[in-house]
Amino acid sequence: MAGEHIDTRLLEELTEQSQDLNSDAVRITQDALDDFTEATGPQPRRWWQRGSTVAGAAGAAALLASVRAAATTSSDDIMALQTAASIENLAISVYRAAAGLPFIKDGNKTIAAFIAKTTTQHQAHAQAFNAAVTQAGGTAQNAPDPKYAAVVRKTLPTIKTSADVVKLAITLEDVAAQTYTKNVSQVSSAQLRKLFASVAPVEAQHRATLLAVQALLAGNLDDLIAIPTDVAKLPAAAGSVGIPNAFYPTVNASPISEGAVK
Amino acid sequence: MTTARDGWDMPISEDQLARLTRDMETAHRDTLPAMRAGAVDLAADIRDTRGGPQGAPRDPGRRRFLTGTGGLAAAMALAACSSSDKQGSGSPSKGAGAAPSPSGSAKSRYTGDLKVVALAVALENQAVGAYQAALAAAKAGKLGTVPPAVATFVTTAMAQHSDHAKAWNSVLTGAGVPAIHDVPLSNQPATLAALGKATTVTDVAKLALQLEDQAAQTYLFATYNVSAAAGVATAASIAPVEAMHAAILHFVLGQYPVPDDFLPVDKAADPALLTV
Repeated sequence: MAGEHIDTRLLEELTEQSQDLNSDAVRITQDALDDFTEATGPQPRRWWQRGSTVAGAAGAAALLASVRAAATTSSDDIMALQTAASIENLAISVYRAAAGLPFIKDGNKTIAAFIAKTTTQHQAHAQAFNAAVTQAGGTAQNAPDPKYAAVVRKTLPTIKTSADVVKLAITLEDVAAQTYTKNVSQVSSAQLRKLFASVAPVEAQHRATLLAVQALLAGNLDDLIAIPTDVAKLPAAAGSVGIPNAFYPTVNASPISEGAVK
Repeated sequence: MTTARDGWDMPISEDQLARLTRDMETAHRDTLPAMRAGAVDLAADIRDTRGGPQGAPRDPGRRRFLTGTGGLAAAMALAACSSSDKQGSGSPSKGAGAAPSPSGSAKSRYTGDLKVVALAVALENQAVGAYQAALAAAKAGKLGTVPPAVATFVTTAMAQHSDHAKAWNSVLTGAGVPAIHDVPLSNQPATLAALGKATTVTDVAKLALQLEDQAAQTYLFATYNVSAAAGVATAASIAPVEAMHAAILHFVLGQYPVPDDFLPVDKAADPALLTV
């Protein structure tokens, strides 16, 4: 196919802008994690803990109980977070392996840049999930999801082209998005709902991008996989193939125990 | 193989296009039954809590909805966006700060969780209307040549927003309050004005991106502020879809499609935008 017409300088500028925006989002999520830590960690000594009046102690105990109840992290929460971290760990390893493949490394520059950027985003997600695990007293999950690691092991030897890489990545991104979408309704605190709900859309965006890339590769339109692209030349399907669902499904979500630390 | 259609040479075969479209439709339809079930659950939950169609007094602690400190933060963020927005009235956020909202009225039928549901319907209707207006403008030749991919995106995204609006409206009617078929948002005049000024596909795409970001982030915010479990699940299932719309729009605009590691909430809609 024709050579890439990517403007590297523009891509760098866009990446820089993206990172500025991203740092705000990271800060917000860190705030959420800090809130989570504060809510689940050792409670600071309050006036009622210093032996004040009985009435005051009773009222404070009720308040303390409500705060703890709101932020209680169950064993299910920890398992869900560990499974999420395991999915992220697998994605990171797959993207890293892909980045080293000759047809990626020496191929379409935008695909290579997407893989690099997506790897760092999955690293951020893994760190966030594991931070929440350890803050809740659990063990960080540094291993990959066992079910999909097996799928990857089986698939890797068959990967010969960029399209093969994209296909595998779509599977992993979809599993991640579906799992976190479901986790939002499974975890027990608002802080954890916020964490899962802020990551699921990002995985969905990875999938949308990859679906569009997949369609362009299938149409031998590699030269249109560029930022900026020539929008006028994009096939009609490129506008819809990346948004296949009106509601994000959860039928293929991983169970919370799938990647839990044993 | 390429196929000529309306004078445009499609660099993809009809078979490939048909297969992709068929796969997409199948995937789309597969999600609808679960969505409808969720809407029924949410309506039942809200109806039970309200104690009847007309709504009995409810526990304000349990029925909190974007009205806590997070809601205030979102409102402040929107206000900040308004003041710094160089596009003036073209920004939906501008309207948020420009018009007083009667949504705080004690007479509003949409309170508690229903307020967020009403906000969701209004945002979806706003998106549907914006895309409809864009298609009309394109048909009238006001936007210049519209790339086929953009046209397909607009029709697909519009249909999905329409499905979202239907799902949320079924919650409203199930809870005994009227469905919302218009756009009762104080920022709607500004949105319409921006649409009216659009002369290029890029103008429309930028505005659409604002609406998609607003919707996705509002649903994210809802996931940790809504009380009803079905409401949380519904918001969680729509936020990724709006984010995917945004990703495609970023690509169309020549921007990186996944700009954030974590979806932020700085562009979430303030419930005070509601005018009903």
